[in-house]
Amino acid sequence: MIKRNPLVLGNKTLKDVSDDICAPVESMPSGGWLAMFLSAKALFIYYIISIGILISTGIGLLGVNNPIGWGTMIVTFVFWIGIGHAGTLISAILFLFRQKWRTSVARTAEAMTVFAVMTAGLFPLLHTGRPWFDYWLLPYPNQRGPLWTNFRSPLLWDVFAVSTYATVSMVFWYIGLIPDFATLRDRAQNKTRKLIYGILSMGWRGSSRDWSHYEMLYLLLAGLSTPLVLSVHTIVSFDFAVSNLPGWHTTIFPPYFVAGAIFSGFGMVITLMTLVRMGFPQFKDYITIDHMEVMNKIIMTTGLLVGYAYASEMFIAWYSGNPYERYAFLNRALGPYAWSYWIMVSCNVLSPQIFWFKAARRSIPVMFVVSIFVNIGMWFERFVITVTSLHRDFLPSNWGMYGWSWMDTSILVGSFGMFFTLFLLYLRLFPAVSIAEVKPVLHVGKDVKGGHHG
Amino acid sequence: MSENHQDHDHNHDHDHSPEIEAQKREILSKRPKPTAGRDERYWNSLEQWGKDPEFQKLAEQEFLTSPLQEEDKADGWARREFLKLMGASLALGSAGCLRRPVQKIVPYAKQPEEITLGQALNYSSTWFDGSETFGLLVKTREGRPIKYEGHPQHAFSRGALSARAQAHLLSCYDPDRLQAPQHNLQKEGRANAETVSVTWGQLDEKVRAAVANGGVTLLTGQVASPTLRQMIKDFQTETRAQHIVWEPTNPESIALGQEASYGTKLVPSYRFDRAQVIVSVDADFLGTWLTPTAFNKQFAEGRRNVEGMSELVVFDSHYSLTGANADKRFKIKPSQQLTVVMGLLYEVVVKAGHSSFAANTEFKEALSAFENAGALLGFSDPKALEKVAQSLLKAKGQSLVVAGGTATQNQDALLLQVAVNALNSALGNDGYTVVYGQSQVALTGSHQALHQLVDDMMAGKVKTLLIHSVNPVYYLGDWFATALTKVETVIYTGSHMDETAIKADFVAPDHHSVETWGDSEALTGIYAIQQPTIQPMYDTRSILLGLSQWGKISSALGKAESDYEMVRIYWKDRLLSSLGFKGSFEDFWLDLLQKGSVGALKNERESVRTARVEKLYGAKPNKQEGFELLLYPTVQLGQGELSNIGWLQELPDPITKIVWDNYASISIATAEKLGLAEGDKVEVGMNDLRIKVPVHIQPGLHDDVVAMALGYGRTRAGRIGNGVGFNAYNLMTHTQGGCYFSGQSLSMKSAKEKYTLANVQGHHTMEGRAIVIEATLQEYLKDKSAGIHKHKIFSIWPHHRYDGHKWAMSVDLNVCTGCSACVVACQSENNIPIVGKKYVLQGREMHWIRIDRYYTGNPSEAETVFQPVMCQHCDNAPCETVCPVLATVHSNEGLNEMVYNRCVGTRYCVNNCPYKVRRYNWFNYRKTLEKSEALALNPEVTVRTRGVMEKCTFCVQRIKTAKDTAKQEGRALKDGEVKTACQQTCPTEAIVFGDVNDPKSRVAQLFKEDPRSYSLLEEFHAAPAVRYMTKIRNNSERVINAPHHQHHEEAKKGDHA
Repeated sequence: MIKRNPLVLGNKTLKDVSDDICAPVESMPSGGWLAMFLSAKALFIYYIISIGILISTGIGLLGVNNPIGWGTMIVTFVFWIGIGHAGTLISAILFLFRQKWRTSVARTAEAMTVFAVMTAGLFPLLHTGRPWFDYWLLPYPNQRGPLWTNFRSPLLWDVFAVSTYATVSMVFWYIGLIPDFATLRDRAQNKTRKLIYGILSMGWRGSSRDWSHYEMLYLLLAGLSTPLVLSVHTIVSFDFAVSNLPGWHTTIFPPYFVAGAIFSGFGMVITLMTLVRMGFPQFKDYITIDHMEVMNKIIMTTGLLVGYAYASEMFIAWYSGNPYERYAFLNRALGPYAWSYWIMVSCNVLSPQIFWFKAARRSIPVMFVVSIFVNIGMWFERFVITVTSLHRDFLPSNWGMYGWSWMDTSILVGSFGMFFTLFLLYLRLFPAVSIAEVKPVLHVGKDVKGGHHG
Repeated sequence: MSENHQDHDHNHDHDHSPEIEAQKREILSKRPKPTAGRDERYWNSLEQWGKDPEFQKLAEQEFLTSPLQEEDKADGWARREFLKLMGASLALGSAGCLRRPVQKIVPYAKQPEEITLGQALNYSSTWFDGSETFGLLVKTREGRPIKYEGHPQHAFSRGALSARAQAHLLSCYDPDRLQAPQHNLQKEGRANAETVSVTWGQLDEKVRAAVANGGVTLLTGQVASPTLRQMIKDFQTETRAQHIVWEPTNPESIALGQEASYGTKLVPSYRFDRAQVIVSVDADFLGTWLTPTAFNKQFAEGRRNVEGMSELVVFDSHYSLTGANADKRFKIKPSQQLTVVMGLLYEVVVKAGHSSFAANTEFKEALSAFENAGALLGFSDPKALEKVAQSLLKAKGQSLVVAGGTATQNQDALLLQVAVNALNSALGNDGYTVVYGQSQVALTGSHQALHQLVDDMMAGKVKTLLIHSVNPVYYLGDWFATALTKVETVIYTGSHMDETAIKADFVAPDHHSVETWGDSEALTGIYAIQQPTIQPMYDTRSILLGLSQWGKISSALGKAESDYEMVRIYWKDRLLSSLGFKGSFEDFWLDLLQKGSVGALKNERESVRTARVEKLYGAKPNKQEGFELLLYPTVQLGQGELSNIGWLQELPDPITKIVWDNYASISIATAEKLGLAEGDKVEVGMNDLRIKVPVHIQPGLHDDVVAMALGYGRTRAGRIGNGVGFNAYNLMTHTQGGCYFSGQSLSMKSAKEKYTLANVQGHHTMEGRAIVIEATLQEYLKDKSAGIHKHKIFSIWPHHRYDGHKWAMSVDLNVCTGCSACVVACQSENNIPIVGKKYVLQGREMHWIRIDRYYTGNPSEAETVFQPVMCQHCDNAPCETVCPVLATVHSNEGLNEMVYNRCVGTRYCVNNCPYKVRRYNWFNYRKTLEKSEALALNPEVTVRTRGVMEKCTFCVQRIKTAKDTAKQEGRALKDGEVKTACQQTCPTEAIVFGDVNDPKSRVAQLFKEDPRSYSLLEEFHAAPAVRYMTKIRNNSERVINAPHHQHHEEAKKGDHA
C-alpha cells in the first residue's frame, strides 16, 4: 500500500495546532503585514473617493459608450465573482467528496470567496446610471401600480443569484468559524477579546451535542452551497448568453463560465496561499506543498476546459454559418482587440501547461507566477467577452472602440484595494486555517501502522 | 403675437389673510362626509364589531379603502372628489403652518384670446439663409417659438427645411447674442476690445450725423426681403449711398455667364424634377448650391417613380453630397471642369452634329481641342464622356447640365458657365429645366463690386460704411480689416459681436427673424411673409427701422413707425397690384398671414434661348499639374454664419461623418504617397501662406485635390463656435476677377503632428452584410425586389396584438439623399443635447436619428449609400426583455416606449439592441443649457436627467396631439395627420409614417405592396416597425446583385441562426 503524505507536517500536537493557528490573531502585526495593509488601505480609500466622484458626476467618467454599454465595471464584476468560486468549491464540494486535503485551505478560500463577492457585488450596483434607485431591481411591494420587476431579465436573475450566493457563502463561512472562535475565546487573555470572540462563537461549548448539530448543519450547508457553485456563474453567464449579441448568445456559456470561475478562483487561492505562507511561516506545515500541488492540478484541468471552450466557440461560430457570429469571433482573434484575446489565450491556456511537470507543480515561484497569469488572463477573458463582442456587432456604422479612462483604471485597481484590505484584516482577526478541521486529520491518536484508516 | 403674454407670476403669500380663512371654512363646509359603511360581516377589531362610537369617528377620518378607485359605491368618494380635496387640504395645510408658503401661479394676467396653455400655435413665416428661402411654420408654446416646421403651402420650399433652417431657431436663444447697441471705442484711442453699451438714441444721433456727411456705402449680404430691398433703395435715394451686395459663396459667375450667353444678368431657377438626365459639374445642388433643399425635393420627385427615374451624372472635385447620390460619379479636379463641359459639347455638337452650333465652324474648331477630353481627364473608361453625351442627347429637351458653387470659382468660372449654357441651349433644355423667366432674385452678390468697395475704402472714398448681415472681416481677413481702418465711421448691424462687429464703431443689434416682421421673395413672384412669434428678447431693432432712422427717409415706407407698418405699406403699395389681388388689402393681409405666402412656380415651357459662344473660341484644355485647392461650404455650417449653434457643429458631415472640425480631405493614394494617416497634420503652402491642418483621407477623391471646408475657424462666433477648426477663407484668393475658391496650386507636406478628428462613424463598409440594399435600375426592372434576400422566418410564440393603431415607418433609400435635415429636426423636437467633441470621440453622441453612410465598391472610386437609422420599434424588441425594471415596454400601438423615470440605467437594452439606436445620458446634460437656451425646449418632451436611456419615440407627443384632436372633433384619425419631426422636414419625402392597421394608409401600402420594402436585419427577427426601401442606381454599366452571390449560397444551407 502506498503511504499517503501526511496532510499536516511537523508532527504537530493538538496544542501546537491551536498555538500555530491562533498566533497571528494573538500577536502584534509584523512590519510586513502593516506595510501591506497600509498600502491596501490607501488603495481602498482611493477607490472610495473614485466611486464618490463617479456617483456624483456620472457613469460617463468611465470608458463605456455607445456601442459598448458595459465595460470595466461588468468585466471586473464577473472577474471577482469568478474568483469567489474556488472558496465554495473547496469548502462545499470537496467536503462532500471527503477530500481531506481541503481542510487547511478551506477557511482562507472561503474568506476569499466572501470578500470577492463583496467586491464584485458593488459593481452592478454602481454601474447603473442612477445607483440611488438600485432598489428598484428588487421585487418589493410598492404603490406604483404596483410596478413589478421584469422577471424575464437576466439582470434580475443576477440580483437573486449573487445575493443568494453571498448570503449562503457568508453563513457557511461563519458556521465553520464558530468552533474556532470558541477556541480563541477560551484562549483570550483580556476581557474585550473574550467578549468579542465570545459573542462570535455564539455560546459554543464543544459538547457532543454541539458537535452533532454543528456537523449536521455544516453538511446541510455544504449541500446547499454545492448547487450554488454551479448556479451563480451559470446565471452570471446568462447576462450574456440570454442576450442576442453575437459573441454573447452562445449555449456553451454556463459550463464555460463555471469552469473559468473555478480556474480563476484556484488561481487566486494559489496567489493568496503563497503570500500567506510567506507572511506566516508557521502555516507552511498546514498548507503544504502537497496542497498546492493538488490545486495546481485543478488549475491545469480547468485551464484545459477553458481552452476547450475557446476552441469550441470558434468552431461553432464557423459551423453555424451565421455571418455575424463568424465575424464576432474572427474579430476577437484578428480585430483591433486581438491583443486582449491573445493575452487571454496565452495566460489561460498556455501558461498552466507548465504544470504537466511535477517540479513546476511543486515550485512556489513557478506557481505564483502562473497564478498571476491566470488572474490576468481571466480578467481579459471577461474583457474579451464583454468589450470585443459589443464593439463590433450587426451594423458596421455603430462600430466603435472602448474609451478607457483614468476612472476605469481607478475602479479596477481600487477594487483590489478593497479586497486586500478585507483579506489582510481577516488574516489578523480570524483563524486563517480551520483549527477544528485540521485536528481530526492529524495522526495524533491514530494507528499509523495499519489498522483502520482515518 | 405674444404681446399679452406674461410669464408665470408667482405670488408668495405667507400670512393668514382673511380670504384664506374664509376659503378654508368654505372648503371644510363643502367637504363631503365620508361614512364608514363597510360590510359588517367582517371586522378588524372588537371596537368595530361593537360599533364603538370612537371607532366610528376614527373610521370616518381614515381611508381604509383605496381613495384612488375611479368610482365608489353610492355614498363613497369619487376619485376626482378626492383629488380636489387633496389639493385643498394641501393648500390648507400649508396655510396653517409656515412650512410651505402659498405660491399662486397666475398663468396670464390677461389671457390672450388664442392661447390655450399646453396647446401649440403655428405661425406662418419665412427665413432666408443667405441663399435659399424657406416657408416656415413657427411652432410656439406659451408665447415662445420652439420649432421650425416647413410650410407645405410655400410654392418653392413646399414643406421642406434644411438642417441649417431647423437649427436657426436656436440662434434666437443664443446666450452670446448682442443684447443692446454698442459703441466701440477704438477711435477714441482705446483698446479695440472696449465696447460700451449705448442707447438707441445716442447711436442714432451719431449715425445720422455720419450718414449726413455723405460718402455712404451700404454693404449687405444677399437680401431676399422685398421690403428691405425697397427700404435700401429709398435709403440710397435719400443719402446717395452705394449698395454693395456680397456673400462669399454668391453665384455671380452664373449671372455673368447668363449675361455673356444670353444678354441678361440673372440667376435662373432650375427644375431638377423635369430632367430625365442631370449632369452636374461640381454643382452640389443637393448639398449647398443655391437652393439645395428645394432641389432635393425636385430631385426626389424625378426619382420617386422608379421605372421613370432620372439619371444623375456627377463630375465631382470633392466628395459632395450630390456626388454621393450620383448614379455615375466621376472624380475630377477643379482645373478639369471646363474640359468636362467642353468635352461634352464636343460629343454633342461635333460628333453627334446636334443643334445649330453644328454649323458654327469656329466653335467646332475650338471644341476639337477637346476631342480627347476623356483621355485628358484620365477616366478609366475612355468612352465615358461619349456615353454621358448620348444619355443627354437621348433626353434632349429634358435634361439638365449644371455647374457652379465655390468648387468652380476659379479663373475659368465664367467660361464654364458659358459652356454650360451652350450645352443646355444645344440640348434644348433652356427654358424647361433652366427657367430664366423665374429667377433667383435675391442672389445678387458680386465679388467684383466687393473689390471695387475695398479699393474705394483704401482710397478713402468711403466715409461711412454700413454693414448688414454679412461678416466680411471673417471671410476676408486683414485685406478687409485694413480697408476698414480707412473708413471714418463703420456701423454694423447683426446679432453677435463678431469679427466685423468688433472692428465697427457702432454696433446696432438686429432682431432675430422670429422677433420681427419681414418678408421674402424666393423666386420671382413667390413671396412669403415673416411674422414675429416672440417679443424681442433684448434691446434690439429691425434693420428696416435702422435704415429709416439713419437715412431720415421721407418716403411713406421710411416714415412708418414700426417694422409691421413698413411691411404692410410695402405689400399694400407695391405688391398688391402686381399680384393681381382684387379685394381689399385687409382681406388680402389676413389671408396672407394665414397662408404665409403667395405666388407659384411657372410651369409653362419657355422658348430655348440661343447661347452666344464667342467666349469659348479660345478655350484650351487646362493641363494643370500638382495639388489643387478646393474650398467648399458644408451642409452643416454653410458659409459659417451659424457656427455658434451647437446642433450644427455636432451634425455629422453627410459624407465624412466628422463633427466639430474641418480638415483637408485628400485621396487614399495621396495619403499613402505622403505617408499620412487620418488626423495627421499637413503643412499646406499657398503663395506666402503656410497653415497646418489635419487631413481626412477621403475615398473617391481625385489624387490631386486638397479639399477644405469653409465656415470654421471663427474667432468671435461665440462660446460654441470659437476656435472650432481653422479658417479656410484664408486660402481664398482675391483678384479683380473675383474671389477664387478652387484650382489654385498648393504644396503639401507632412507636418509630423497628430490631431484627432471626431468621427461618429468609425467603420465605412457594410462588410458584405445586407444593410443598405442596392440594385441597378435594370435589375429592378427584371425583379422589383432585386437584392432583397427573404428569409423563412417562423416563431413559436404568439405575436403582439394591435387592435387599434399600429404605428410604422417606411424610409425610401432611393430618394434619401443624406441631407441630414431630419437629424436636426429631431434634435429640436425632442430636446436632444449636444455633447461636444471630447465626448463624441468617446462615442457619446445623442442623436436619436443618425444617417449611416457606407462606401461601396473600389475605395478609390467609392460610391456612397445613406441610411437613416432610428429606433426600429421592433415587435420582438430585444431591449424590452432585458430591462430588469420594465423601463422600456411595448405599447398596444406597437411603440417601443421608454419610461425615463423608471429607468435605472443598466444599459442592458442598448447592448441587446442590434441597431444600437439607444442613447444614454452619461452626464447631466441638462445642466449645460444656458438659461436662454432652455426656452427653446419643447415642453411636450421630457428633458432627460442623467443615467437614463433615451431613443426615438416616433414623436409620440405628436401622435398623442393628433389623436386628441381627432377625438375632440369626433372623427377617426386620418392618414398623414401624424407627421414625425424627421418626416415633416424631409425635403425628399423619403420618410412615410402612419398606421399599418389602416389598409389605406400610405405606409401600409408601401409595406404590403412595394417589392422594394425590406426590414433591416430581417433574419434577426426583431420584426421592426421601420422598413427600408431599396436604393436603385440608374446605371446600366453596373451589376450590383450578381445572380448567385455568397450570401444566397449560405442561405441555402438554411442556417440563419
